Amino acid sequence: MADHNPDSDSTPRTLLRRVLDTADPRTPRRPRSARAGSCALGTLMWLWNLRGTGLERLRCLGARRALLETASPRKLSGQTRTIARGRSHGARSVGRSAHIQASGHLEEQTPRTLLKNILLTAPESSILMPESVVKPVPAPQAVQPSRQESSCGSLELQLPELEPPTTLAPGLLAPGRRKQRLRLSVFQQGVDQGLSLSQEPQGNADASSLTRSLNLTFATPLQPQSVQRPGLARRPPARRAVDVGAFLRDLRDTSLAPPNIVLEDTQPFSQPMVGSPNVYHSLPCTPHTGAEDAEQAAGRKTQSSGPGLQKNSPGKPAQFLAGEAEEVNAFALGFLSTSSGVSGEDEVEPLHDGVEEAEKKMEEEGVSVSEMEATGAQGPSRVEEAEGHTEVTEAEGSQGTAEADGPGASSGDEDASGRAASPESASSTPESLQARRHHQFLEPAPAPGAAVLSSEPAEPLLVRHPPRPRTTGPRPRQDPHKAGLSHYVKLFSFYAKMPMERKALEMVEKCLDKYFQHLCDDLEVFAAHAGRKTVKPEDLELLMRRQGLVTDQVSLHVLVERHLPLEYRQLLIPCAYSGNSVFPAQ
Amino acid sequence: MEEEAETEEQQRFSYQQRLKAAVHYTVGCLCEEVALDKEMQFSKQTIAAISELTFRQCENFAKDLEMFARHAKRTTINTEDVKLLARRSNSLLKYITDKSEEIAQINLERKAQKKKKSEDGSKNSRQPAEAGVVESEN
Repeated sequence: MADHNPDSDSTPRTLLRRVLDTADPRTPRRPRSARAGSCALGTLMWLWNLRGTGLERLRCLGARRALLETASPRKLSGQTRTIARGRSHGARSVGRSAHIQASGHLEEQTPRTLLKNILLTAPESSILMPESVVKPVPAPQAVQPSRQESSCGSLELQLPELEPPTTLAPGLLAPGRRKQRLRLSVFQQGVDQGLSLSQEPQGNADASSLTRSLNLTFATPLQPQSVQRPGLARRPPARRAVDVGAFLRDLRDTSLAPPNIVLEDTQPFSQPMVGSPNVYHSLPCTPHTGAEDAEQAAGRKTQSSGPGLQKNSPGKPAQFLAGEAEEVNAFALGFLSTSSGVSGEDEVEPLHDGVEEAEKKMEEEGVSVSEMEATGAQGPSRVEEAEGHTEVTEAEGSQGTAEADGPGASSGDEDASGRAASPESASSTPESLQARRHHQFLEPAPAPGAAVLSSEPAEPLLVRHPPRPRTTGPRPRQDPHKAGLSHYVKLFSFYAKMPMERKALEMVEKCLDKYFQHLCDDLEVFAAHAGRKTVKPEDLELLMRRQGLVTDQVSLHVLVERHLPLEYRQLLIPCAYSGNSVFPAQ
Repeated sequence: MEEEAETEEQQRFSYQQRLKAAVHYTVGCLCEEVALDKEMQFSKQTIAAISELTFRQCENFAKDLEMFARHAKRTTINTEDVKLLARRSNSLLKYITDKSEEIAQINLERKAQKKKKSEDGSKNSRQPAEAGVVESEN
């Protein structure tokens, strides 16, 4: 019953109107229903053709309408719905349109509203094809013409036609569970064939089919999209089971490494507060703490000895001591502390060659230093330092606020304790040493450190000796004047890489002695020249300039960067930190 | 501009050479005196070496003096700077210290003389007046 003319002039609007006028699947009237069915089918196909936007197809559609009178209204409606789903505007069911069209006043409606009505009146029972009409896929489109053609035949033909997996809908025709599962499988097939999953949820946006659609959608979320688009395939990550055994083994291996190194290396921001041992104390590594404390103690000491530098009452030896003692103190501090003395000794020791004399010499130095200090002006500060050191080793934050023991007593105690020390990691040693040097560098009496730095610019300050086993023995008396130089002599012999005569080493010691004396004299004179009583870094820079280490091309900061580790550089070279704070303060 | 710089370089260089020549000549004269004194001969190479050494050392001294002056936050080089420079060698230091003291004394004397002159001048002006008065009295 082709009411419409297959000829041209049939706009979608007119066609729709005709469809709605003629189709009414719900009416009990047989012929009408049949007609409705046929009309529904026709509308279905027509709507499908709408997608294809081909009027020729419309005509074909119309032509085939008449062939479908045998189709059951239900099935037709289902089919209608099914195919209608595939329609571009998400048309739910032609049946609905049939319903609506019964209302009658369709003449004024636009195709849009007509289709809307169709959608609204679609029966809820069928799920129809999940393929969304909204997003026409070329494949389904390609399929549907064939389907349409096949639908020319019996309706039954259409069912199997619909089932081909190009679209998901075919499997969803029947509402049975079995069919549901079928649908699922069909859906999966469809997915395999490269349908975009997005179509399905849209197609199933229908309220009735929502749950089912949900089931369907959740079924295979991770399926690889398609063979056609391998790039989008999401493969599940290949997961290996955690090898607990290997993990534990690794743990054990890493734990064997000395924790000090780890702790020291992992110190991201060494608090640049020179005067605060708290940070150092916070470190769980006591040797490291001890080293730091030694630094601070040395720093404090240098401060106190700064003025001592100026007074010539102790005479040159005292001056030299002040200069040398800075260095020595750094080492001796290790000896003079209790628990950290252990580390200190160890720290200092590894720096020397593995000569047992080194220990004794250092101890001697410690003793001699303490002796010197008992006599010299640095006594109280020294003691204070030692106390501070011990306190620090006791993990307290006070800086030299403790009462002063007798230096002899302290040295005696600490020597004994120092000897009982256990080997310490070598890494802490160079750090501590450099820390001390650096502090001396920083403090008003930076002479020795600077001298060392300036005199040994070629020698890297990072000396990492393996920890030496401790040996106990008597402390031979040493000339206090040369007390602090044995360390440098040892360094010298180490870097010489060849055996050296004792006489040669003695000469080296003498030269070092003279050198340091000169150095301190110069520093003092420079300070006096500038009308000051305190030696400042500017004096040191002048000295280095005279030595030729600092030139117009190479500044002091450059040397600091080259030869000092980062922690000391932070303390020396002012750097701006967040919050407009510059450290160290100018 | 590059040419100017080049010419400047050349000028400086030529100036330097002239200075070197002057130094060389002076060193030669001094060496001759010493040779006569000690009755020892100086070879030409020795004199050349000495003069070159002197020249370079003068450069160093100049730089050091400038550094010292800057270190003391001054722009003029002082006797203090010179003394600082000479401190290494004891005898030289002593010599220079003595010299500086001499100079200081001379300066003081000069100042005193100047003061006296100015005072005398005022006195003289008074004295003729007095003399005139006295003479007039007589």
